[in-house]
Amino acid sequence: MKIALICCQGGHLTQMLSLMEAFENQNVFFITYKNPTTDQLKYRKYRVENIGTNLWRMIKTFFIAFKIIRNEKPNLIVSTGAEIAIPFYIVARILKIKTIYLESWCRVKTKSGTGRMLYHFSNVFLVQWPEMLKKYGKKARYEGAVI
Amino acid sequence: MIFVTVGTHYLGFERLIKKVDEIAGKIDEEVIAQIGSTDYKPKNMAYFTFVEEEKMSELFEKSRIIVTHSGAGTFLRILNYNKPIVVIPRFKKFNEHIDDHQLELAEVFNKKGKAIAVYDIKNLEDALEKTKKIIYKKNIKNKRLITFLKDYIGKMENENMHGSIDSISS
Repeated sequence: MKIALICCQGGHLTQMLSLMEAFENQNVFFITYKNPTTDQLKYRKYRVENIGTNLWRMIKTFFIAFKIIRNEKPNLIVSTGAEIAIPFYIVARILKIKTIYLESWCRVKTKSGTGRMLYHFSNVFLVQWPEMLKKYGKKARYEGAVI
Repeated sequence: MIFVTVGTHYLGFERLIKKVDEIAGKIDEEVIAQIGSTDYKPKNMAYFTFVEEEKMSELFEKSRIIVTHSGAGTFLRILNYNKPIVVIPRFKKFNEHIDDHQLELAEVFNKKGKAIAVYDIKNLEDALEKTKKIIYKKNIKNKRLITFLKDYIGKMENENMHGSIDSISS
């Protein structure tokens, strides 16, 4: 099965890498940011410019996302955050591709901006601390954490 | 050796690096710092901005204490070493992060006894002293999340396979 793994560098990437055992024998590729720390990532990858809170770059990335997802046609998209996932999850919804969003392990008490939004756009929405279940809602599930 | 790391964030962590540099000038123990995007250049300790993953692992392995910002990535990695951890959350008001969420992990691990959290930087020296009395147990990775993802993928594969068999037979 073809799986797209989407995450920013830093903690989001470390969390994704700690889950790679789950994707053994699958055809995976990464979508991440252009950054010195993602140079060494030893998987097939697409790298886009950092979005941050820049709305223009968000819109630009949406078109890039459309191109990548339409060409690759992954069966499933998994993301550990953060905002890089937003345009890709909107495209996935349009193209009816299944998505799993994993709220960051660092979110113990408060929702992330991306989580708030992708709660509505993902097929499966996971949190990593049971305390976060009531912060989100019925759709949120706790199925363990990266540690 | 005391190893200090501030992760890969695009904002620096001057409050921590300055304080550690000050402490490094007073103690005999070697201090090495990964300063990331921090502008301040230390005078009393060895430092670098970013380095390959393998080199980071080597430094974590060699250190006696790990002093870190409260980033999820760093935490996730260093819990695998049997080392005392001193954690300092980055705060928005000092322009160290976009919000104060680093406080959340610091509080949790402080409470669990897996790290000593320092919220006011002037308490860092005391925290370093405290680590000498603490013994940490190695963390054992829980496979629940990996199993969940594997099962989910397995189910999707089954559905896809049945889907294609159906389309062949029809």
